[in-house]
Amino acid sequence: MAGKKAEKGNLKLVAVLDLNEASVLHGQLMNARGHDVTIDASEVQRVGVQCVQVLMAAAKAWEEDKKTFVFEKVSDAFRKTMQLIGINIDHLLAKEIRQ
Amino acid sequence: MDMNEIKEIFFQECEEQLAELESGLLKLNDGDRDPETVNAVFRAVHSIKGGAGAFGLDDLVSFAHVFETTLDCVRSNKLEPTQDVLKVMLKSADVLADLVSASRDGGGVDEGRSRGLVKELEALARGELPTGGAAEAPKPAAPKPAPAPAAAAPAAPAPTDESGFQPVPFSFDDEEETIVPSVYEVTFKPRRELYAKGNEAALLLRDLTRVGEMSINCDTETLPHFDKMDPEGAYFSWKISVKTEKGEQDIRSVFEFAEWDCDLDVKLAETTDEELPMVPVPFDLSALDDDSASEEDAAEDAASIQAAAAEAVAAAETATNVSKMAAAASRVEKKESQAAAAAAAAAANAANAANSAGQTIRVDLDRVDRLINLVGELVINQAMLSQSVIENDTTGTSSINMGLEELQQLTREIQDSVMAIRAQPVKPVFQRMSRIVREVADMVGKSIRLVTEGENTEVDKTVIDKLAEPLTHMIRNAVDHGIESPEKREAAGKNPEGTVKLTAKHRSGRIVIELVDDGAGINREKVRQKAIDNDLIPADANLSDEEIDNLIFMPGFSTADKISDISGRGVGMDVVKRSIQALGGRISISSRPGLGSTFTMSLPLTLAVLDGMVVTVAGQTLVVPLTAIVETLQPEASSIHSFGANQRLISIRNSFCPLVDVGRILNFRGTQANPVEGVALLVESEGGGQRALMVDAIQGQRQVVIKSLEANYTHVPGIAAATILGDGRVALILDVDAVVAASRGQSLKQESSLKSDMSLAAAG
Repeated sequence: MAGKKAEKGNLKLVAVLDLNEASVLHGQLMNARGHDVTIDASEVQRVGVQCVQVLMAAAKAWEEDKKTFVFEKVSDAFRKTMQLIGINIDHLLAKEIRQ
Repeated sequence: MDMNEIKEIFFQECEEQLAELESGLLKLNDGDRDPETVNAVFRAVHSIKGGAGAFGLDDLVSFAHVFETTLDCVRSNKLEPTQDVLKVMLKSADVLADLVSASRDGGGVDEGRSRGLVKELEALARGELPTGGAAEAPKPAAPKPAPAPAAAAPAAPAPTDESGFQPVPFSFDDEEETIVPSVYEVTFKPRRELYAKGNEAALLLRDLTRVGEMSINCDTETLPHFDKMDPEGAYFSWKISVKTEKGEQDIRSVFEFAEWDCDLDVKLAETTDEELPMVPVPFDLSALDDDSASEEDAAEDAASIQAAAAEAVAAAETATNVSKMAAAASRVEKKESQAAAAAAAAAANAANAANSAGQTIRVDLDRVDRLINLVGELVINQAMLSQSVIENDTTGTSSINMGLEELQQLTREIQDSVMAIRAQPVKPVFQRMSRIVREVADMVGKSIRLVTEGENTEVDKTVIDKLAEPLTHMIRNAVDHGIESPEKREAAGKNPEGTVKLTAKHRSGRIVIELVDDGAGINREKVRQKAIDNDLIPADANLSDEEIDNLIFMPGFSTADKISDISGRGVGMDVVKRSIQALGGRISISSRPGLGSTFTMSLPLTLAVLDGMVVTVAGQTLVVPLTAIVETLQPEASSIHSFGANQRLISIRNSFCPLVDVGRILNFRGTQANPVEGVALLVESEGGGQRALMVDAIQGQRQVVIKSLEANYTHVPGIAAATILGDGRVALILDVDAVVAASRGQSLKQESSLKSDMSLAAAG
């Protein structure tokens, strides 16, 4: 499971977001379509590019739907991987954790 | 399957890739800027390189590599594919084709030419415009040894800021300092397989940061809409600049195990060019692999994953290579996945196209020919059977007749289907022509565009094979003589770039190939004068424009003032005409002064069967090819007019047409038959002239299987080939052109050297 989510709109990402998780993550986000989503990436230790692809595509889709799509908490690993692969997630970060 | 067979398949695939490459480049030349076209071109070269690498064809690999590098610049929009650029690329495609055939058949390649092109390509890759003589610059493909190995420690001290998001733009100013670390531009585009094989782009990128200081730009353009995306697809691609003292090889080695599953390009960056907003990457990536919670665990994990992946990839790589060549089916699949990786937006379309392309098998031509031969026998046998049933069945209503009719239909269908196996599109021949146009135009300093239409028109393989030579002749002629020099064209108010148009289409059971140029047209005065000079026509001959145009098909004719290497030794057009006739075809020309000439060739779709009219002449059964016959009529005494000793004309709708007694010409009888008792077949011979062929009676129309007379007996003047009729008797197929020519007073013997000899092509 990509996230132990409690209710629609809150998604907690699991530690390892590898190839196998990409489809799971996609499915979970599909379920949350149309709702504001807050993502907790605080426990992420490893992210694969494919999961990033899913997240970025989702961010775009949410933007089109005029719903919010924010990363509430991000782990260092998550943040650095994003930086490593050249993806800017600044605009997706919740205000309080923006730097 | 041994190695040689696999190699053979590789070469066959090369042919396909080369065709793909060329048509892609030509599309680009016509202004097509679809990224998918560029990708297709790139893939073609890449596949050739990949396969060649597997077989250790080093020349091919190294040339393909340089070519690929330059194409990649086009793909990444660094190089605008202008006409000049494409000219170099098309030439490179030609050289690549030469290298492929040299690798297959042995033999040499023009080394100077390929070296020159390598330089031009490299110059292009560096962003220099093609000037022709860019020789001095260093090769970007060959990594310069790093200037300071001592300073090789790649990991610069980490930035103190943990977040790493420093808004410091990457600066290239450092370039000018004394010990310059080189800056490499790396383009990295993983394919779906890369992930599927357990590799992870992020890990590769992390390894890359160890090589040197790195800025990255992630291209998310191809990311499809969330609803439509494949979560396991590969959409992101990266442009990375790496500033390092190490060489290109070190960068490449990072991608070593993933090389086959991604599009990778590494080259020295131009110092000025920096239009992409790059994000600098911090070197403190400890969080990624040295997570505090599971430091060792993660590191071990990563290492083992990589080792496993390496193994798996290496194995898979070999497997893909073999299977790639082994099965066309897997090729379709591969195409599909490549397309998905290349442009996700177009993925669905591409996949559909790949699927609808259908599956093919390669079959030895001999087997097909054997099948065709057998079906031919079957058709004859069926005809014989029905004839003997009809003869013996007096009641005429038996169910056998119905069964026979069905059998006849079935055999006809089988025959058509078998013929369709041999049918192939004319595309390969047309594509070869575009190369000839390029080369010849280059040689004579003209600028000419070849436009082709109807490349997918299908025709028998034998026809295709034999079409190449006459077409080459004609194209050369058109380029050399037909199209004027750019200056002359400009003076005449035309586009300085000439156009040669090659079209193919089906028309009433034949294939018609047209070659149109927009040159000066035929200079009739000059042609006429030349013909008189060469004693081809009497000085006072009164010829129509059309007849003058057709003079160029006479043996020993060339209007070019000076003989060039390319065309014009006076053996051109008559040879062309002869080879077209040998295929059972006809050729004609129409020309408009100042506007250009049109050559029209009409060829049979197959050389194995023929629709003919079965006629009786002096007790003999003959077959007249249906394509030659315009109409049939029953002459009336009042419309027959005699003139001269033994010439007769028939008046048809107020025009006169010479009457030709076939029985007399073929020496079937000594005296002229009475026209009123026979039937006249109005035929069209080449040159457009009509003649009325007189035969005794018409038996009917039939499809006959052509059997070579020469192979079984010997050549007979006036006869093209033979066939076996339903009653088992041999019937001769009339060579209409030869008979018409003979009626003009030329003897059949002389004409026989020119006679259309479809027997050559006919099966046994």
